[in-house]
Amino acid sequence: MDNFEPKIIGFYCNWSSQMGIDSAGVEGASYPPNLRLIRVMCSGSVDPEVIIDAFKKGADGVVILGCHLGNCHYRNGNYNALRRYRLLQKMLEQFGLEKERLRLEWVSVAEGKRFAGLVGEITEELRRLGPLRQFS
Amino acid sequence: MKTISIDPITRLEGHGKIEIFLNDQGNVENAYFQVPELRGFEVFCLGRPVEELPRIVPRICGV
Amino acid sequence: MRAGRKTVMGKLKFAIYWGAACGGCDVAVVDTHEKLLDIAAAADILFWPVAMDFKYHDVEEMADKNIDVCLFSGAVRNSENEHIAKLLRAKSKVMVAFGACAQLGGIPGLANEKRRQDILDFVYHGSPSTVSQKGIYPQEITSVPEGKLKLPKFYDAVMALDQAVEVDYYVPGCPPEPARILEVINAIVTGNLPPKGAVVGALDKALCDSCPRKREEKRVKAFYRPHEILFDPERCFLEQGLICLGPATRGGCSDPPRCIRSNMPCRGCYGPPPDITDQGAKMLSAVGSIIDSQDPEEIEKIIDGIADPLGTFYRFGLPASALRKKRFS
Repeated sequence: MDNFEPKIIGFYCNWSSQMGIDSAGVEGASYPPNLRLIRVMCSGSVDPEVIIDAFKKGADGVVILGCHLGNCHYRNGNYNALRRYRLLQKMLEQFGLEKERLRLEWVSVAEGKRFAGLVGEITEELRRLGPLRQFS
Repeated sequence: MKTISIDPITRLEGHGKIEIFLNDQGNVENAYFQVPELRGFEVFCLGRPVEELPRIVPRICGV
Repeated sequence: MRAGRKTVMGKLKFAIYWGAACGGCDVAVVDTHEKLLDIAAAADILFWPVAMDFKYHDVEEMADKNIDVCLFSGAVRNSENEHIAKLLRAKSKVMVAFGACAQLGGIPGLANEKRRQDILDFVYHGSPSTVSQKGIYPQEITSVPEGKLKLPKFYDAVMALDQAVEVDYYVPGCPPEPARILEVINAIVTGNLPPKGAVVGALDKALCDSCPRKREEKRVKAFYRPHEILFDPERCFLEQGLICLGPATRGGCSDPPRCIRSNMPCRGCYGPPPDITDQGAKMLSAVGSIIDSQDPEEIEKIIDGIADPLGTFYRFGLPASALRKKRFS
């Protein structure tokens, strides 16, 4: 898969993860351009239907970024994200979608470099998995 | 060869058709009954929790 | 009983047909019992394979839009289902997706989780009760000494009716409740239908709204299969850890709801509530949000207790959902 550039949709929350992504920029930590970022208010507000829609519309991978557990700006939102995401991952596996294609990560303001590393790692993982063919 | 087609068969549950081939004397040379339907319950029930089947398999036939 | 193509003035012309169906929707029409006579008084049925001896060529010979209302039940599984759906669409003024299979794909839609060839292999060869000559599968064209026989093409995926033809109304249910069928026919006969595209013969709220069970608080520490616990027959199923699709299902099947009054949780046969496009994803979201845990490992364990998310949340609606059909590389 030499020429394959995975398309990744990233839903990031307006609070910790936005600051973390910003830090990456400030610290000069670069990450692959494969990630297309969409800002949401809370990781818990990402509807499973929207995630499926992202895959349908051509995403090879979807990442949800939120505040660390216990630090959600809205108290419990990220727990909702965790529960829904895990169940969705399980169901999508039944559907033939590898669980590595859907990721949920907590990013704090101090983790700019870690965020950049994560994007690199996810991009390579998706490159290895190949394009998603489930929704052709 | 003249053919008589009965399509669909009626007044029963399910899809079916009958092709009747007549010879030159107008008698039946041969007749074929075909079932032009398949849904695959025997495959898509596999792997499902067993307690769900009493609510899935009655849809094989609602009559 | 042949009503013939000559119809009595004022009577509406109906066609009732089935695609990949079980006949249950037709039985539901018959289950209107003596009120069927009222239907007969108001309607002339021009095509109804389960009950009347009209043939496809009778429909082909009709003028376009000759039929006033076509009630089409069953999913679109093969080329014959699609062909007749298109034929009836051309010959009918109003096309109604009648029942869960036509509206959503229905139970036959579960086949969309499987590979087409696996279905053919098992049915015609692999199943323990099949005795079959090696290599014989049904063909679209079979040559016999007298001529050729034709069978429809078995499609890769099951479709809901509106994925094959334009549908004017949806009557949900597996099957639709006979009392609702009468309401729909009455609405048709009196010209009281809502704008096209509407779901008729059902309520505009989720099933929970008409559920008689006690609801306290939805905080679930474990999900169970029905044989794993003795559950309270008066309390909400979901609250007790039994998956019930009530929150993501349209109400209207009966009062009290059919499965609930039989002490079984809802499986979603009436399709999604208004404004919800993907019933399964919505249900998944609801189930996720009632898990009572903040510990990732415990959450994992609780989710493990859900036996078959895909086949449960999308029991009736896989073809109509965003997922539609599983692809195999």
